[in-house]
Amino acid sequence: MPFDHVQFLINVLNSIPESVRTVIKYTFSEPFVKAVIFPGALFGIILGLFAVWYERKILARIMLRVGPLHVGKVSGILQLVADALKILSKERVVPDVRNKYSFVMMPPVALILALLLFAFLPFSPEWIIYPSDIGLLLFFGVLAISPLPIILAAYTARSKYPFIGMTRFALQLFGYEVPLFIALTGIILMARSFDIIKIVESQRGMPFIIPQFIGFIVFFITMMAESERIPFDIPTAESEIVSGWHTEYSGVYFLMIQFTSYEKTLSLCILASLLYLGGWHGPQIPYIPETVSAPFWVIFKALILFTILVIIRGAYPRVTIEKVLDLGWRYLIPIGFINLLLTIILLGF
Amino acid sequence: MQQLFELNELVQELLMEILQNAFVIYASFCILAPVIFYLVSVILAPRKPSKVKKIPFESGQTPFPYRINPYPIEYFPYVIIYIAYALLALIAFVTSMSLMESSEALIAGIIVLSLVTAISIYLSLYLKSLTQKLERGVV
Repeated sequence: MPFDHVQFLINVLNSIPESVRTVIKYTFSEPFVKAVIFPGALFGIILGLFAVWYERKILARIMLRVGPLHVGKVSGILQLVADALKILSKERVVPDVRNKYSFVMMPPVALILALLLFAFLPFSPEWIIYPSDIGLLLFFGVLAISPLPIILAAYTARSKYPFIGMTRFALQLFGYEVPLFIALTGIILMARSFDIIKIVESQRGMPFIIPQFIGFIVFFITMMAESERIPFDIPTAESEIVSGWHTEYSGVYFLMIQFTSYEKTLSLCILASLLYLGGWHGPQIPYIPETVSAPFWVIFKALILFTILVIIRGAYPRVTIEKVLDLGWRYLIPIGFINLLLTIILLGF
Repeated sequence: MQQLFELNELVQELLMEILQNAFVIYASFCILAPVIFYLVSVILAPRKPSKVKKIPFESGQTPFPYRINPYPIEYFPYVIIYIAYALLALIAFVTSMSLMESSEALIAGIIVLSLVTAISIYLSLYLKSLTQKLERGVV
């Protein structure tokens, strides 16, 4: 009898048309799985949703609250889906702006750029969408373009709060882009490569956080500023300038902006875990193959960094614009250069 | 006819190349994601246009037709210094690999970096009073 079942199954599979079989085969192919499931689109979206829920839960704990609870059986896990649906069902209001098309197009462009960052991040030597010898340069190339839609969105809004938010954002960018590059130069010097996979492989013996501790501190602070997290959220300071550069956005555009912010933060956390915390190198988990344990360690380390970001958000108030610029220009740049000098001297002699 | 057939084959090959490239598929999904969000919003969101909704947000105050937007001029020197610093950081970032190749390049790199570090420390001490000087109109 079981043989009959198997034969029946084979007959059914044989009866599937060739074109359908090709499509099924293609959906299980390596490029498609990488691009759509892991570490591609689906993973990025699920990680983004999880990060929002996780942040709300930790913030609630810091403030002695419970956080999301009722929607979904376990700890309000479906609260975010409900929130997303609520925002999507809001009216798409486009105010009287300078250029309507530019205003409407900027949030999608920002989201596309933020999602593209994941293409250059390896989760193991195999789990990467776009392996490249200059992966780090490509990542920062996309990251460098990402402020453009924000500045254009604020400029086209023809409103005072987005304009003030934009000038603040530009000033913050001026202060923190330079230390970010200086901190990363130390890593490139140590690994002697722009390839993120090679950088992680060269941390097999010791993660770069130990010899590059000063660089890591500079990178972590600039990472917080780059992703506009509290205490560096002066471009979107709610209590001062309503919602900063995205004051005029509502409905689906607001959702895209929020999603962009989280995706950017998460991609920077993953990059920090790869560059400084040893990436996929970690204790071997029994009975788990390396293809599974490697991405686990990367995500685990990135979540530790994200938790620190959330705790800082919950524990510290927003710093003023003078202090933000002071920290960037007067402390981080000289410290970054000192770190670089020490690294060269250490490696040279 | 032969040319058309060759073109068809070329297009098919190109399509196969694209479908086998994970980055192209991922980039397509990245572009598709905002489109999906927008389409869901088109289905779910109501459409009730009104004149009031077109007015810029003014925190409950009456909007006025024109205004002079303030630009924090006291931070303008930072923006100017940024150009020099950004160039230095970029040079350091790109040339870092070749610095370690020979001892001469290494020594030259250390001298240049020492100078840049010293200048950045000096500037960090000088910038402390820069905004106040601007406010008083001394600089």
